[in-house]
Amino acid sequence: VLTAAACGSSGSGSGSNGAGSGGTKVQGGTATYALPPNTVPNYIFPFNSSTYFSTANSQYFQYLMYRPLYWFGNGASPTLNTSVSVADEPVFDGNKVTINMKGWKWSNGETITAQNVVFWIHMMQAVGATDWGDFTPGYFPDNVSDVTAVSPTELTMEMKKSYNHTWFTYNQLSMITPMPKAWDRTASGPSDCTNNVSDCSAVYTYLDSQSKEQTSWASSPIWSVVDGPWKLQSYNASGNSTFVPNDKYSGPVKPTLAEFKELPFTTESAEYNVLQAGGNQIDVGYLPTTDAPATSNPSEASTNPVTGYTLNPLYEWSINYFPINLNSTTGNGPVNRQLYFRQALQYLVNQAAIIKGPLHGYGYPTVGPVGTIPATDYLSSTGKQGDPFPFSVDKAKELLTEHGWDVKPNGISTCSDPAKCGEGVKQGQQLEFTMPYATGTGWIEEMVAQLQSNATLAGIKLNVEGKPFNQVTAIGAGNCVVVKSSCDWDMVLWGGGWSFSPDYYPSGETLFEGGSTANSSGFDDQQNNTLINETLTTNSLDPLYQWQDYLAPKLPESWLPNGVYELTEVVNNLQGVIPQSSTGQLNPENWYFTK
Amino acid sequence: VTGFFIRRLLQAIVVLLLVTMIVFILLRSIPGNVAIAILGPSAYRNPEAVAQFNAQYGFDKPWYTQYLQWLGHLLQGNLGYSWNLNQSVASLLSTHLPKTVALVGISTLIALIIAIPIGLWQAVRRNKPVDYIFTGVSFLFYAAPSFFVGTVLILLFADTWHIFAAEAPQGGLWNCLTDWRAMTLPVVTLTLVTFALFSRYMRSSVLDNIAEDYIRTARAKGVPGRRVLFRHVLRNSLIPIATLLGLSLPGIMAGALITESVFNFQGMGYLFYQQAQKQDYPTLLGIVVVIAVATVVGSLIADILYAILDPRVRYVSA
Repeated sequence: VLTAAACGSSGSGSGSNGAGSGGTKVQGGTATYALPPNTVPNYIFPFNSSTYFSTANSQYFQYLMYRPLYWFGNGASPTLNTSVSVADEPVFDGNKVTINMKGWKWSNGETITAQNVVFWIHMMQAVGATDWGDFTPGYFPDNVSDVTAVSPTELTMEMKKSYNHTWFTYNQLSMITPMPKAWDRTASGPSDCTNNVSDCSAVYTYLDSQSKEQTSWASSPIWSVVDGPWKLQSYNASGNSTFVPNDKYSGPVKPTLAEFKELPFTTESAEYNVLQAGGNQIDVGYLPTTDAPATSNPSEASTNPVTGYTLNPLYEWSINYFPINLNSTTGNGPVNRQLYFRQALQYLVNQAAIIKGPLHGYGYPTVGPVGTIPATDYLSSTGKQGDPFPFSVDKAKELLTEHGWDVKPNGISTCSDPAKCGEGVKQGQQLEFTMPYATGTGWIEEMVAQLQSNATLAGIKLNVEGKPFNQVTAIGAGNCVVVKSSCDWDMVLWGGGWSFSPDYYPSGETLFEGGSTANSSGFDDQQNNTLINETLTTNSLDPLYQWQDYLAPKLPESWLPNGVYELTEVVNNLQGVIPQSSTGQLNPENWYFTK
Repeated sequence: VTGFFIRRLLQAIVVLLLVTMIVFILLRSIPGNVAIAILGPSAYRNPEAVAQFNAQYGFDKPWYTQYLQWLGHLLQGNLGYSWNLNQSVASLLSTHLPKTVALVGISTLIALIIAIPIGLWQAVRRNKPVDYIFTGVSFLFYAAPSFFVGTVLILLFADTWHIFAAEAPQGGLWNCLTDWRAMTLPVVTLTLVTFALFSRYMRSSVLDNIAEDYIRTARAKGVPGRRVLFRHVLRNSLIPIATLLGLSLPGIMAGALITESVFNFQGMGYLFYQQAQKQDYPTLLGIVVVIAVATVVGSLIADILYAILDPRVRYVSA
């Protein structure tokens, strides 16, 4: 999903490592977790519409109580974790997928069955197009022709074509969260969405209405049926939540803590004030990037300004970029469509300097459509070589000059030879662009200032306009031609790019395929589309490598550094928090205090 | 008197209508796609959901139709629903407003209790060292942004000396009123930046009154200086303070935004700021209604206080 440059934290998927020094494990205790600034869970029903499709609702809240069918996160690696998943790894046979349930239990004693999975899929079939925030036409469940609960423990699906097993598991089955029978009801009594899709709309309406009754979440007979390691004990609308262990949890690691609390914060500074004041009000918090000690190793902090805590940088499984609108109607569309221009601009994005300066060393360059951090098998050998467009004003000027531009450093370059400038570019056209960007995050604002300054060195004038994040994404996070919104913009920068969750396999069909609604720049290339299709249907990483190596230099977006998601501070006597999950999962059941 | 109140009430209704209409139009003028701002960027992949949202909440209708619809709901006591926060606006206000009222009310009261005697003292001791010292202090806090004052207080009293908490109480109104370790620094911050304004006005007002003929007459008639000061000067000097207080209440509430943000205080000022970033129109309109009502009521209270403090006003009204 599209992501903000934000601050958030998550726990490990393995629980094998801890923060600080060792000690004797203590049973019980309360761990307090600082929610990212201005981030409050506000929806409990794990079937999130676009409005409620967020890390705060899913990873920080719902997943603690309601477990997805498949869990992604092995320590920092964004891969399938079968031990924590509710079902065994899917078995593929041609177009058929078989899912075997592990027989784990709901908190009311019932078994998590194949019917509970069908319940969710039927809900998706009934209302997914309007009420599931990650719905993409043509993909799940449109690409499945038959779903059958063969027995309480076995579910089969017939795919409309043979898909790459990894892709289908990581990007399609990853969305499913089994729902208990107790939820299959409306206000008037039990319903049968599990067996009849036609019943699901009314069930959804009822469950959605129950999710709006925030004051009764903790006592609700609906929401108190959980299969995750935690139950909600209390919640208030400001975002203060307290969880207690679910004694019936069937997973391999039962909670050691007696309570897990989440605290909301207005700003990073407010949280940092509390952290610095001591008193152990926060066990897992974060350090604002602006207060971070500079480091030469992005994965390690050199020093920690907060005593009694361990500082651990968390990187999200994501890429960062800003779109250049190829369909711009400002008059700059023809310029933006020129590959040489996008390459010239990319040479002016000094990723190394952004990481060293605004990010204080905590960042990795984005080299293409596949993330560089955490290290995965998905990144091609070419991608592993680093930034394909290292900062070079000379190369940027050279590219522009070669293509008929009269380059005026610190001025505005003009097209002097339209035949060379490219199709649609007029004689005398100037390299002047508008760029709305999201305000509120220090390093993003510094990065924009740096980018603007660098661009002037090649005579490219960027008229940057600071706006709230939501306004920036409303302008440019979608393909303006496909979604029929205004194309009257040249470039936008919201600072966060794309987070691979719940599409953990970085195959690019939602972001880079021609005609995709999230393809903000409007990039459309037949070879790219063909290669994406191959990644979706071939059980090999080779098409993924070929695709990213083809796409990265085409610059469907302008690559930006992937900044640290959060500089997590873990109190020294709390173990099991590190390594943190790059997929944003929070696993306090792995946490324990020591003495 | 009844006629006065009816006239003021009618004026208040007109003001409220105009304020809400102007704010409504301004909010609708913000560039960008409202549905995308509310539903989130992932809705770009789901045009059907966007269309359904627009139809359901009337965003596909002209602004005046939307305004009249909102007004109709308001008259029925329905302030709307915040999609962002998944709560009714009335519910949001019921949790956030009392906390802000407590913060603003307590700090304003303390600011007045400090500012009035200081202003009086400064006027009496005009151009003496004590006047210069308090003038300097007033200017310092008047010029200092509340986030700066708050941060310095946290550094000293929470981080260094551990006397008070660095964040405000996290519970409801009762916590705010009882947890003084957590509530002190936000209250002191808002008090310091507010008292300067009141003390300067008070000083100026007292100086004006001291020079009036009726004071000279009272003194010529042999009324003791202390009695002149407290019976005559003080009472008349409070008139502009009453007016200022009534009109500045909404401003103080808005000013609480920064203090709320620094101290992690989940109040109404901070709520307004955050929801403005997210184009949460129902919440913004609901808060604007509250602030507009506070302004009108504040103005009304100022008039009433004015009448109490200055008998001539009562005679004119009668």
